[in-house]
Amino acid sequence: MAEYENPQIPEGINVSTTHPLKDFALLVGGISALILVAVLALSLLAGQLARHVPFEQERALAGSLGRWLPETPAQPVHRERQQYLQQLADRLGAAMDLPPEMTLTVHYSASNTVNALATLGGHIVVFQGLIDTLPSENALAMVMAHEIAHIRHRHPIVAMGRGFAVIFALSSLAGIGDGAMQQWLTGVGMLPILSFSRSQEEQADADALQAMLRTYGHVGDAAAFFEHIARQQTSGEPLAIFSTHPGHEERIERIRQFAQSHDKQEATATTPLPGFMKENAEKTKGTPKDSLS
Amino acid sequence: MYDLILFLVLLLLGYVFGQRAEKRHFKSIIEREQTLRDILVFSERRIPDEDQLEGILVSGNVVISVDFFKRFVAGLRNLVGGRVSSYESLLERARREAILRMKDAARRKGATAVWNLRLETASIYKGAQNAVGAVEVVAYGTAVRQRR
Amino acid sequence: MIVTNIETVPGKQIVKHLGLVSGNTVRSKHAGRDIMAGLKNIFGGELKGYTELLTESREEATERMIEQARAIGANAVVNVRFSTSSVAAGAAELFAYGTAVVVE
Repeated sequence: MAEYENPQIPEGINVSTTHPLKDFALLVGGISALILVAVLALSLLAGQLARHVPFEQERALAGSLGRWLPETPAQPVHRERQQYLQQLADRLGAAMDLPPEMTLTVHYSASNTVNALATLGGHIVVFQGLIDTLPSENALAMVMAHEIAHIRHRHPIVAMGRGFAVIFALSSLAGIGDGAMQQWLTGVGMLPILSFSRSQEEQADADALQAMLRTYGHVGDAAAFFEHIARQQTSGEPLAIFSTHPGHEERIERIRQFAQSHDKQEATATTPLPGFMKENAEKTKGTPKDSLS
Repeated sequence: MYDLILFLVLLLLGYVFGQRAEKRHFKSIIEREQTLRDILVFSERRIPDEDQLEGILVSGNVVISVDFFKRFVAGLRNLVGGRVSSYESLLERARREAILRMKDAARRKGATAVWNLRLETASIYKGAQNAVGAVEVVAYGTAVRQRR
Repeated sequence: MIVTNIETVPGKQIVKHLGLVSGNTVRSKHAGRDIMAGLKNIFGGELKGYTELLTESREEATERMIEQARAIGANAVVNVRFSTSSVAAGAAELFAYGTAVVVE
């Protein structure tokens, strides 16, 4: 006759002993790093591929997407301004050795937004609000050269390629986890995009300064726009690392350094803006939004 | 931003209360296991001295939910693969609780042993995107007592 | 350690029944496997990644059950049963239980 009993089983055989917080920290850290690297790699790759899209293709793409661009203005004074901007862009473009197939199209917008932007297909939009804040043609040229540099380096299409890559990457993550987790994953995935644009802005600034030097022989007033923005921005600057543009102080400083090492003559005579360019310089004190895009 | 704060608060609440509940539950399980030690449990079907005994089916079940913290960690673990330790303790708790309730039922019937024990696990409630909300464990077996 | 899923250990006499022992584990495969499995759902066929996952998990559950049996001084486990449940998408819970016994 066999015996029957139930001895006590020691604890902890069926349960892993790792501390839940340690597990949590390892997982969060590891997965964040993984996503960062993956999105970084994917968007770099997409950016590189997009760079090889021929400019004509980019132009055609812009034609189908670019309905939002400002129309040719109806008022004669606006048309005059647009022509002036176009001539300025062509001059700067020539100084920057744009490839022959890369043509610039400048659009003028009478809106008082303090902004200028470059987009797909060599389109540049300049807003009256920006022009009103600038003291001279040199300052305007600096801003436009910055935008032209973006186009020259194919930044708009690279940005689009990266954007698509990131959207693709993040939407493929969407199948995993519930709401909160997805949000966190998306946040982590967005981080690399911000740092990319910063390096692009710095590149554009450097190129714009070279163009200024070649066109005018000096870089006087190049920092005017950033100085204006810095003056206007009384509220605290957002964390520099999280903004796509380098801090204004940083930019002004960089331009000064460039000026010191390159300007030959001290007397930097700036070219004034033609009279018809100003709307009403006194009244516009609109708060600048973000600067150049 | 508010979403993030809400999320972190939920995570913290889940962690603090989940861990506390788990510790407490394990403590009570160990205590009750001591008091019910005289009810023997076997998974065998062959009952000794069958002719003097009578059998009654007894069962015990429990549904335990997963806290937010555990669910999040398990979700992360699901991305990289490996042991989901946060669910292991959950299932261990559920299983021992179910067996305890079954033993309790056996005692109330005046039985001294349970034979042919079987255990079933089911995730009875699936939340958003199949994230598990709760697990059910049922334990059942034949309790035997002296024929009256 | 002898493990059987019948009531007895063939050729041996059970001298002591030590009651229930169990082992469980919850495991998941990484997201890449989940995505591959999703693709396989279109074409059909064996999901090698999941087969592997379940095999590993079952082995571990058995291992843990044996560990429990050893801890209470048994040298065999009889009447072993496996149960599988999916507690979360992509994760599998494997559970093994049986009666620890001492054979001569």
